Amino acid sequence: MVEVALLAVAALVILLTLGVPLPYCFGGALMVMYFVGDVIMKGNVLWGMQQLSNPVLLAIPLFVLAGTIMSESGIAASLLRFVNAFIGHVRGGLGVVAAVSCAVIGAISGSGLTGIAAIGPLLIPEMEKRGYPREYATALIANSSILGLLIPPSVTMIVYGWVTDTSILACFLSTLLPGLFIMFNFSVVNIFMSRKFPLILDDKPSFSELSGEVARRGIHAFPALLMPVIILGGIYGGVMTPTEAAAVSVIYAIPVGFLIYKGLRWSNFLEAGKEAATAVGAIMMMILFSMILSQMFVLESVPQQLVQAIFEITQDKTILLILINILLFFVGMVVNDVTAIILIAPLLLPLMQAIGVSPVQFAAIMGVNTAMGGVTPPYASILYLGARIGKVKVTKVIPPAMILIVTGYVPVVFLTSFWPGLSTWLPSVFGY
Amino acid sequence: MEKIAKYVLTALICSVALGQFVQVITRYILQVPVMGLDETMLYPTIWLYILGAVNASRENTHIRANVLEIFLKTPRQHAVLAVIGEIASLVVGLWLLIWAWDFTAYSWRVWRTSPTLYIPTFYADVALVLGLALMMVFTALHLITHIRDIRNGEFHHG
Amino acid sequence: KELKLSDVRPADATINKELAAFADDVKTGTNGDVTIKLFPSSELGNYTTVQQRVSVGAVDMAVQPAATDADRRMQISSFPYLAQNWAQAKAIYGPGGIIRDTMAELYQKQDITMLAAYPVYFGGIALNREAVSPGQPDVKKGIKVRVPGIKSFQLLGEALGYIPAPIPFSDAFTAVQTGVVDGVIGSGAEGYYASFRDVTKTYIPANTHFEVWYMIISNETLNALSPEDQSALKDAAKQFEATRWGVAQEDQGKNEQKLADAGASIVKLSDDQLAAMAKKVRAEVWPVILNDIGKDWGNGILKQAESAQGTN
Ligand code: NA
Ligand code: NA
Repeated sequence: MVEVALLAVAALVILLTLGVPLPYCFGGALMVMYFVGDVIMKGNVLWGMQQLSNPVLLAIPLFVLAGTIMSESGIAASLLRFVNAFIGHVRGGLGVVAAVSCAVIGAISGSGLTGIAAIGPLLIPEMEKRGYPREYATALIANSSILGLLIPPSVTMIVYGWVTDTSILACFLSTLLPGLFIMFNFSVVNIFMSRKFPLILDDKPSFSELSGEVARRGIHAFPALLMPVIILGGIYGGVMTPTEAAAVSVIYAIPVGFLIYKGLRWSNFLEAGKEAATAVGAIMMMILFSMILSQMFVLESVPQQLVQAIFEITQDKTILLILINILLFFVGMVVNDVTAIILIAPLLLPLMQAIGVSPVQFAAIMGVNTAMGGVTPPYASILYLGARIGKVKVTKVIPPAMILIVTGYVPVVFLTSFWPGLSTWLPSVFGY
Repeated sequence: MEKIAKYVLTALICSVALGQFVQVITRYILQVPVMGLDETMLYPTIWLYILGAVNASRENTHIRANVLEIFLKTPRQHAVLAVIGEIASLVVGLWLLIWAWDFTAYSWRVWRTSPTLYIPTFYADVALVLGLALMMVFTALHLITHIRDIRNGEFHHG
Repeated sequence: KELKLSDVRPADATINKELAAFADDVKTGTNGDVTIKLFPSSELGNYTTVQQRVSVGAVDMAVQPAATDADRRMQISSFPYLAQNWAQAKAIYGPGGIIRDTMAELYQKQDITMLAAYPVYFGGIALNREAVSPGQPDVKKGIKVRVPGIKSFQLLGEALGYIPAPIPFSDAFTAVQTGVVDGVIGSGAEGYYASFRDVTKTYIPANTHFEVWYMIISNETLNALSPEDQSALKDAAKQFEATRWGVAQEDQGKNEQKLADAGASIVKLSDDQLAAMAKKVRAEVWPVILNDIGKDWGNGILKQAESAQGTN
């Protein structure tokens, strides 16, 4: 059966390469399983639809909508200005602002796109005005945007927890430290890189000027800063489930966007609703058919056979972890984060557990790798969106993005794989 | 069409958010959880997912990997690739549609109901077959556009 | 032929050891014609989904609670306080019992054959805090408990003085741990030990309902087997059931002890307290559910059940 599964994966890759929409790529792989592998298809759609109706998944559209409303309403902009008050005047500070703002926004949005969509249009022109090359600014914000998937809440961790039956709250926490690590790396690398740039700096403000500015912007940003407190405090404080928290963040963001920040109007509110629903529809169709494919693998015992086959080659934990990271890197190059998790997590989790990697640590490994997939070409959705927002050619953004990936992500990928504590310590503090 | 899509999709996603919100308020603040609210949410949820996907087909904004596109140079090559992609989508989509129909027929025959309010789940289940059918219609329309473009030598992007 | 059998507990749970023995029996009994492959931990979907998949022949077998979505009359199996002790339970759920036979008939309407009933436990209440007036159903406890999305459990929670909160099973553990709810109703010592042991501070064996699972097989799968293999399979199922009735009560005690060892305090209730709870629940919950599933049909079966229990 492993042969048929491989054939199905081959069909999947071919269809992906041809640029076929993802739901049909999985459908094509299912066709191969059905016609070549003689696997029964009866009852599978029923199963898939039941999976789709799991309330846990409902957090995805709601966190996506919260993110869209944020970028439209001016909520994100006020957060950006607040972060900027602290470090904007330091040399290279604006780049650090980009990374930190994306992390703060990540504590509200569950998607990797919100950061670039919300602050890209504001910060890219500003950074260019201050002497950063436009393509560098774009690459930096796009790369930082991915922190939205690593700082909880996170769509990918919801999906991982759901398919592997792991506590979603533990998964959320598992990628937090790796995410902060990446934010730190970007900040340091940015300060080094910006030495070469002809930066224009403001005069260093006096302490009283600075604290006045921080206070002023802090008050303005207060309703926005309250959002992560409500979401994460609500979840971890025992008031609501992640799905409910996602709904509360939407219900909170609507009046705040309409009445306080005033960026939200009837027209862009409707547009935001439509965009979020469309994005979610595309994700859910893809989840439906990739779940059915994954279930076919389970029915045919592919994961166990895979573990056996791999163990015949090697049982060395270090080698296996390196191989898996390489595999995930390539997977991240061609498919999107959620799909990668649905297909790979159930296949590899038995192997991971056999070599003593806990489901929570594997959540972080998958989380960091698939998040990075959003900026690794050829399929780099977040980088492409960044290029569109920054109005620069994709080919121009790739070189600075590569530098950031190698210096920012790759070290954290290895740390996450070989230092279990980085991902499991925080969940264990919260009792998971 | 665009206007309908905006209103319907926004209404669906907001009703879902509102339902969850009410759940929190009644449980945490009023201390009287509403029984059966969670199962009524199934209906707007499934329709949201499916109609969102239909709209993605209409706008042609489904997630694609577009790996080859980067290596192709001329607009004509792009258009030919698009035609191949749409044909593959149609073949696979129609096959999936058969199974969606199979599922719908099952749902009609068994007439399952939700656990406390006994609302028939058919009204959510039927979304899939209708949605996939609409997705096929839009895919076919995109295919026709691409073929016409190649014939006329005009090439659009996107 | 290899049959895929789904169940709801992790691979290392008691039932999977019992099922492994069953699989061996089937293999020997059919001279290797039929083998059973286990899919534990609801790998093939939750029990509602799996019952549908068995019904259409996409999954061969399962051992699990009865799903009531296709036929609400199946709620008859989980009526709260229908049986109040093990003897009564065996009289109605055991071989020849009225509930067992009724369920077999209802399954047959879904193209499913019931091969065995699997008694699991009497249900109880698990809390992440100390109990409040545990034996007094009339006291409003101000405690929120997660109930499964099944009407009788929601009403049961209310009747016993709790605030029932419908939370999906996938969120349940987290909800108890963070304090979104204060406890859980709808399972028993075994289930709580399997899924909630780290968050259970108090366990009240309140005998809320008798949890019974059914071993079911798709008619399509069954009919495809030779008559000899069919009867070997049925014999193995009979053996599986008989063995279970012999150990179920003891197993329940063991699981309560495991919960206690994991740090939960067990709140024993007196017979009078249990009787008072049963009386209140029967008066408040039963009429509503009977109304839903058909009064005449339901009452007829409950009468037979009570007379069968009376003889014990
Ligand atoms: Na996030
Ligand atoms: Na990528």
